[in-house]
Amino acid sequence: MDVIPSIDLLDGQAVRLLHGDFARVTAYGDPETVLDRIDVPRGSRLHVVDLEASRSGRPVETEIVRRLASRGLRIQAGGGIRSLADARTWIDAGAEKVVIGTVAADAPDVMRAIVDELGAERVIAAVDVRDGIVRVGGWEREATASLAQVLARVEEMGIGEVLITDISKDGAMRGPSFALYRSLRTAMRIIASGGVSTMSDVVSLSRIGSVGACVIGRALLDGRIRLAEARALVAAPNAIPERVIPCLDVRDGRVVKGVNFVDIRDAGDPVECAVRYESAGADELVILDISATDANRSTALDVVRHVSESLFIPLTVGGGVRTIEDFRALLRAGADRVAINTAAIRDPQLIADCAREFGVQAVVLSCDAKRAGDHFEAMVRGGRESSGVDAVDWCRRAEELGAGEILLTSVDRDGTNSGYDIELLRAVTSLVKIGVIASGGAGSVEHFRDAIEAGGARAVLAASLFHDRRLSIGDVKQFLASEGIPVR
Amino acid sequence: MKTTLIDSPVANVANIARALRAAGAELHVTRDAGEIANAPKLVLPGVGSFVAAMRWLTENKIDAAIHQAVNRGAALLGICVGHQLLFDRSHEMGTTLGLGLVRGEVRQYDGILPVPQIGWNRIAARAPLFDGVENGVFYFVNSYAAVDAPDEIARADYGGPFTAAVQHQRVFGVQFHPEKSSAAGLRVLRNYIGWT
Repeated sequence: MDVIPSIDLLDGQAVRLLHGDFARVTAYGDPETVLDRIDVPRGSRLHVVDLEASRSGRPVETEIVRRLASRGLRIQAGGGIRSLADARTWIDAGAEKVVIGTVAADAPDVMRAIVDELGAERVIAAVDVRDGIVRVGGWEREATASLAQVLARVEEMGIGEVLITDISKDGAMRGPSFALYRSLRTAMRIIASGGVSTMSDVVSLSRIGSVGACVIGRALLDGRIRLAEARALVAAPNAIPERVIPCLDVRDGRVVKGVNFVDIRDAGDPVECAVRYESAGADELVILDISATDANRSTALDVVRHVSESLFIPLTVGGGVRTIEDFRALLRAGADRVAINTAAIRDPQLIADCAREFGVQAVVLSCDAKRAGDHFEAMVRGGRESSGVDAVDWCRRAEELGAGEILLTSVDRDGTNSGYDIELLRAVTSLVKIGVIASGGAGSVEHFRDAIEAGGARAVLAASLFHDRRLSIGDVKQFLASEGIPVR
Repeated sequence: MKTTLIDSPVANVANIARALRAAGAELHVTRDAGEIANAPKLVLPGVGSFVAAMRWLTENKIDAAIHQAVNRGAALLGICVGHQLLFDRSHEMGTTLGLGLVRGEVRQYDGILPVPQIGWNRIAARAPLFDGVENGVFYFVNSYAAVDAPDEIARADYGGPFTAAVQHQRVFGVQFHPEKSSAAGLRVLRNYIGWT
């Protein structure tokens, strides 16, 4: 998949609009300076939109395009191309291709004339979509044709590339419309545009077979994505599997399960469950000790000892870890990694101490997050009590302190089977480099995909869903593989 | 044939012992240099710091014992940092000489991916050590690795290619953790245990 940097031009400046609204402009300055800053190399494709032209229908930024083309950039220019003469203006200014939206959707005869005259290989059809409906005229009105009709029409004209922008996502950094791109049936190469805001978004798009390129604007300008890194990442072999992790909640030596951390029921013997999960393809096992009293903590150590004797995949254990000695005892009992929660919020230094003593790979921050208005709060004591700490800030701080991975549980979604909290996941995965394990809410195979694809999680965890055998680990991995997500 | 596991304090000996036994080894665990020098088949585990692991070998003359055993024709399998110890040298915290049983050097990953690598990775391998492995995905925890080792028998990619396993005559090394790599890992151990 190609990664195409994008700049929008208005009054000679590189700008971005939020949701295509001319009243909500962010200016980034002189276009050439901007391109130098984001390191766009010679020979790169560059997507350029003349915003004034898209509104008024009259190309105005041809001089800038001429300058950029003379720097060896392969420009695809768009914005307000309503006629063959407009299209020619851009080609004459040095653009390699023209990007045509409104006319493609609303005026097939004009589109046909442009294609006949310039050649289909110089034309990219652009379709802007909001809530499944094609928008035209700088996004300000609805098109007469449906998305499927527009796609069929331009494909029939011999056009090979179609740029599809979900304008509800554009510039909002909420992630691209993966579902939209997956749903499209076309032989054309899709250029995905809008909402690409993290490296994980770029990787996820590259896994969708029909997406041949993606356009990135604001995230490059803001430095959230570095162009060279994004290109290197999608060019690398896509071989690192994402992990599916069953979780055993253990109390007093037995596997139990709860809904929203209450109403707990017995679900079996930990060793039997662990062995069954490994043979079913689990990539790792998490044991969370939810024993109510300290007296039962030694029971948990026995469980870890017994499970690790029969298990040949990594084992992460958490629950009630208060001191570096608790941590050491669990590692000695056979855990590969230990998750810390409440104690680390009370004493963040515990993370640093354990990372120094046992290595960052052994330290997992377990964060139970609950929605509180427009933010998420880190909860303690098994999700029952608020800590007053912002969950997203806390995850970032834990990374700095030396946590090797974050087990991020949505307390609101836990046990509901209504899907992982994608917003929570994105909030954390867009800020930290270490891996995030999504937890809380899995109910269908699509939920696992969404946590990885849109949430940016590097692993997906579920408990009751697997215990109840409503889904098997094999079902999940098979579905992920069919969606282009590498699994073991 | 008996398999001798070197009881290094800079290693996860218990986990590796369990996996070797599960793979069918008749296992002897020791840190006695004499026993190591006379062993027919050795396993050298290691986690954490190359420097600390190498220091323990030299201070206890285990390095010389390993060389003696290999020169006598013993087989040797290094795991994770044990694999790195087989090389000429490592550049972890300065430069430290290794055992020099396989050619090459160990360096930190310098790609765009987070270090350490923690997780599963797919390897490309064609060597008898990997016979019968259906799914070449193994579990790795490492910040350092050899790249393009002349004795490479398996390769993986983590922001750039690296050597996942080596073999020079009867000396083997695997950068991954076979004891955490489920059926594929146990199969590699079984192949080593059965090596004649």
